[in-house]
Amino acid sequence: MIKILEKSKIPDLLKAVAEMRDVYFPRRFAGGDVLFDRLPDDPQEREQALAEMALGDENLVIPPKDIFFPQLESLFSFTEGAIDKQQSQSKPKLLLGIKPCDLKGLELNYEFFKHKFEDVYYLSKAEHTLCIVIGCLTPPRPKECFCTSAGTGPFASEGFDLQLIENGGRYLAEIGSPRGEEFVKEQAMYFSDSTPYDVQAAREIKAAAADKVQLRVLYKRALEIMKQDDFKAEWIYKKISDKCLHCGACCYVCPTCTCFDVYDNADEHSGSRLRTWDSCVFSGYTREASGHNPRGDLMLRTARRVDHKLKYFHVSTRAAGCVGCGRCLASCPVHIGISHFIQEITERKSAI
Amino acid sequence: MFNEYQPFPATIEKIKDETYDTKTFTLRFADDDVQTDFAYRQGQFMEVSVLGYGEVPISITSSPSRKGVLELCIRAAGKVTRQIHTLQPQDILHLRGPYGNTFPYEELKGKNIYFITGGIGLAPVRSLMNLVFDHKSEFGKVKVLYGARTPQDICFREELEDWKKINDTEVFLTVDRPCDDWCGCTGVITELWKETEITAENAVAVVCGPPIMIKFVAMKLNQSGFTDRDIIITLERHMKCGIGKCGHCNCGDKFICTDGPVFSYDEVKKMPLKEYIF
Repeated sequence: MIKILEKSKIPDLLKAVAEMRDVYFPRRFAGGDVLFDRLPDDPQEREQALAEMALGDENLVIPPKDIFFPQLESLFSFTEGAIDKQQSQSKPKLLLGIKPCDLKGLELNYEFFKHKFEDVYYLSKAEHTLCIVIGCLTPPRPKECFCTSAGTGPFASEGFDLQLIENGGRYLAEIGSPRGEEFVKEQAMYFSDSTPYDVQAAREIKAAAADKVQLRVLYKRALEIMKQDDFKAEWIYKKISDKCLHCGACCYVCPTCTCFDVYDNADEHSGSRLRTWDSCVFSGYTREASGHNPRGDLMLRTARRVDHKLKYFHVSTRAAGCVGCGRCLASCPVHIGISHFIQEITERKSAI
Repeated sequence: MFNEYQPFPATIEKIKDETYDTKTFTLRFADDDVQTDFAYRQGQFMEVSVLGYGEVPISITSSPSRKGVLELCIRAAGKVTRQIHTLQPQDILHLRGPYGNTFPYEELKGKNIYFITGGIGLAPVRSLMNLVFDHKSEFGKVKVLYGARTPQDICFREELEDWKKINDTEVFLTVDRPCDDWCGCTGVITELWKETEITAENAVAVVCGPPIMIKFVAMKLNQSGFTDRDIIITLERHMKCGIGKCGHCNCGDKFICTDGPVFSYDEVKKMPLKEYIF
């Protein structure tokens, strides 16, 4: 079902929702970067933030994974050798303006953190979140996005509560879940009914958007090739590691990279146990106290990253670990991306 | 939802010096309810914290057959373990766990067992060894092959002597670099193949040690007729979280912390071998 949401009503809608939920949306900061930010509580700051909302086809350099998995997070604090009592949890969240590829990333992260042992820090932040997706009319990273190949975009086909389709001065709001339907009912004054023309328009806009995604790779074929027992790609890993600067940027910007390091930050009396984003391409990532390092060799680390995304991710989630956002390629100082690897193994195209 | 990352305080009841850099700590949870609910199995490990210094994975060396006893054998190797070594009885450590899979036990019944370990690799295997020795009549012959770098590096000295007195049990030691008063075998652990007969018939080998040792011991066992499935290995990686989340111990499609640390050699061979031992 499709409802209509006028663009001008969005600030008031968010203010109404903020009573019950922490609201996050993409905001254009002074330097020009668009990043997800929480709607502030202070009325003046709130107006400023809403004025800086950026819901178009923006290139969100950092995916929204940090809303549930902050770059730096305290697991607990301690004083004089004893662990302090923990604080209570936050309100449920509303995420507005999630891109379809990033929605897939959030889904996979949720599955991963729930698999076997439940990660209380991730799940307590992620549960009961309402997700309003916004599809891309044109790819935000024109040379790097390959969502149509990965099957994640430029519009989501499932997994969203609401999906906004920009159509002139208004959004066609597609309802994707019972929770989304409930939300539209609760906030009925902000939504109006659609006509059959709107349904038709939504279909046409989606098709036109898909045509605009230029980079096409044989994603499914790559997964099949890598599943084979005799799959070997050392020559590609070698090429990657010859260029790779092991800076870790690809991991930081990847919507599904969730490896973390754990360490204590403390003085003599008190401190906290922290976790922070880590990267499997760093040489110290697997180093043990004895000095032994199973992946001391950069080639093994580059192989690990690619293999994990495309071959091993399925062990704990339903799908492969690459969502086709192209951020790894866009942020890489030496221009290597997962799409290049896929082109190398499927088309024997010298992409790296 | 249970918070897996939050450890519980435990009191150090006893500290035993094994070598110049290795000590065995006997621990008891400070909270009686936590202590009562705590149970572990052979081959599992704990995450051990010194608040303010960090957390490290340490395998349990005591046997689950000795109820209420939790022993961790710790070598001072890094920042956290060096700090642990400064602690005294009655001091507090923080523990969470147990984590990881276990050594097969029922499957070993009736079989001859070779325990082949190097250095502190004896610690995790000792958990299974004492479990087997506490029910020795249900097992066949046992041979313990143990290698250390020098005579000063030999852990669990008294027990190595005690085990020799158990029925159908033999213990063989070797050191890489002997000192003047060492009159035992010298050389890497595979030298012990010259000291005693190693036969694959109705036998299983349990192996733990540095990667280079695992590589050569597995080769030697294969030559002696052991199939890959009859070689059981416990692996070590930097398992920061212990629950398959932090990613540090991943290897192929496995997490050493939740799928392991105990694997058969044929499972190990399916992992990216260059990373691990070859």
